[in-house]
Amino acid sequence: MTALALRGVTRRFAGYTAVEGITLDIPAGRFVSIVGPSGCGKSTLLNLAAGLLAPSEGSIDVFGERLAGINRRASYMFQQDALLPWKTVLDNIALGLRFRGRDSGHEAREWLTRVGLDGFGSSYPYQLSGGMRKRVAMAQSWIVDPDLVLMDEPFAALDVHTRLRMEGEILDLWTGSNKTVVFVTHDLEEAISLSDEVVLLSAGPGSRTVGRYPVDLPRPRNLIDLKTEPRFHQLYNAIWSGLREEVLKSHARTR
Amino acid sequence: MPAPGRRMILWQIALGAAFLGAWQWGASAGALDKFFFSRPSDVLGRVFQWLIAGSIWTHLGVTLAEAFLSFAIGVLLGVVCGFVLARVPFLGALFDPYIRIANALPRVALAPIFLLWFGLGIWSKVALGVTVVFFIVFFNTFQGVREVDPLILNNARMLGASERQLIRHVLIPSALTWIFSSLHISIGFAIIAVVVGEYLGSSKGIGYTIAQAEGVFDTTGVFAGMTLLAAVVLIVGAAVNRLERWLLRWKPPPSSAEPPLG
Ligand SMILES: Nc1ncnc2c1ncn2[C@@H]1O[C@H](COP(=O)(O)OP(=O)(O)O)[C@@H](O)[C@H]1O
Ligand SMILES: [Mg+2]
Repeated sequence: MTALALRGVTRRFAGYTAVEGITLDIPAGRFVSIVGPSGCGKSTLLNLAAGLLAPSEGSIDVFGERLAGINRRASYMFQQDALLPWKTVLDNIALGLRFRGRDSGHEAREWLTRVGLDGFGSSYPYQLSGGMRKRVAMAQSWIVDPDLVLMDEPFAALDVHTRLRMEGEILDLWTGSNKTVVFVTHDLEEAISLSDEVVLLSAGPGSRTVGRYPVDLPRPRNLIDLKTEPRFHQLYNAIWSGLREEVLKSHARTR
Repeated sequence: MPAPGRRMILWQIALGAAFLGAWQWGASAGALDKFFFSRPSDVLGRVFQWLIAGSIWTHLGVTLAEAFLSFAIGVLLGVVCGFVLARVPFLGALFDPYIRIANALPRVALAPIFLLWFGLGIWSKVALGVTVVFFIVFFNTFQGVREVDPLILNNARMLGASERQLIRHVLIPSALTWIFSSLHISIGFAIIAVVVGEYLGSSKGIGYTIAQAEGVFDTTGVFAGMTLLAAVVLIVGAAVNRLERWLLRWKPPPSSAEPPLG
């Protein structure tokens, strides 16, 4: 089963072509990372998959069905903070269930515990640290039990240690869940540590996929020791040579 | 506005006392003509005399009822129209020039027309108050709904919100900050508008009382009516402040680094 199938997808913004002719299949149940130089169109690609943007050309299928409007099978963790600032942590977590008309109190409290925020249920987002807000966002997007999880550089703004912990937590959530994850990052190490496959996008404008790299590191993975393994370095070097070229192109164009 | 420190409150009281003291002394010593300027002690005495005599309560009640009605109707219309015109771009663009024209009309000039249309009773005053409150609330709601963070809107959409749920959980709370800043202003304006209406033609209300006093050159009566109105506006304003603080409790407290304006 293919969770997400892009067929010749192009998206333009007022004359500027962000992504062009992207064809990409993401099999169900996989953890796939998308990397590329900043500004190349990674967020645009996720917005297209989420149904928040419509393709200018091409089509997108989600679990075999043509996508039109919001992608109801997906949840989306945004790059920037998108919690509702006027709702408490618990209400933020429960939001997706409430929108579906389901009784949410019990499940929301379970998720509060699961993301380690016991005792913060009645706090407001402004009272939390950046890492805690990311945990709330994580619970908010996972509580609705989506088949497809879209994540846009979710940990980019966090310090190294918090980041490592959250990466571990994401893997724990995903393992055995049968969910498909599309994870956007500009950090190649993060991409390799987490994923089954890394997709490389070229520099914009008119960004396209220029490489797909299966990551054959065994699971479960120990994120702390992984980075010292020889196979990790082989993969890193292989993908970096491709990414390096795109980053250089991107620099040359924006100069 | 951040709460002033204890020392500042003392200074503020001192300024008010100095002003009233100078006024009192000037009028008593003859530097100010008591006929034109009255005296703080006389004004205060008149206020208490009214409150004890009791007939002022009826006038106050009428004025407050008119102000409350114009406030409630104006806020309701303003919020609803602000929402609709902000959410339906076609209507927003269609009405835009007419709303600007209507808002540019001098409201006081409408008072005599409303007297003709709605009679000398409370509804001509309510109508005048509504025209003032409506535009303030309308523009703020319109702006508030337009300024909703698109990211939060998208997040709610992805979580499955319907259009109605978007309004209830995202648009209204987000516009509330703006709506509240308009409530502060419009409460005062609602009271002023109905008093002006009463002043121009009525048989009840504080505006009528002031007009009566003015008719017999009773400066003390005019100042006493104004004092009473100012007290009412302050009390209602404080109530709105409390409501606002509770409804906007999700906002970080303003940093003390901000300049003490607004
Ligand atoms: N709504 C938009 N309007 C105009 N240009 C946009 C819009 N969204 C993205 N772009 C442009 O598309 C390109 C890709 O943006 P984005 O997908 O955010 O890149 P990335 O996430 O890889 O950093 C950028 O050049 C950006 O300026
Ligand atoms: Mg991005």
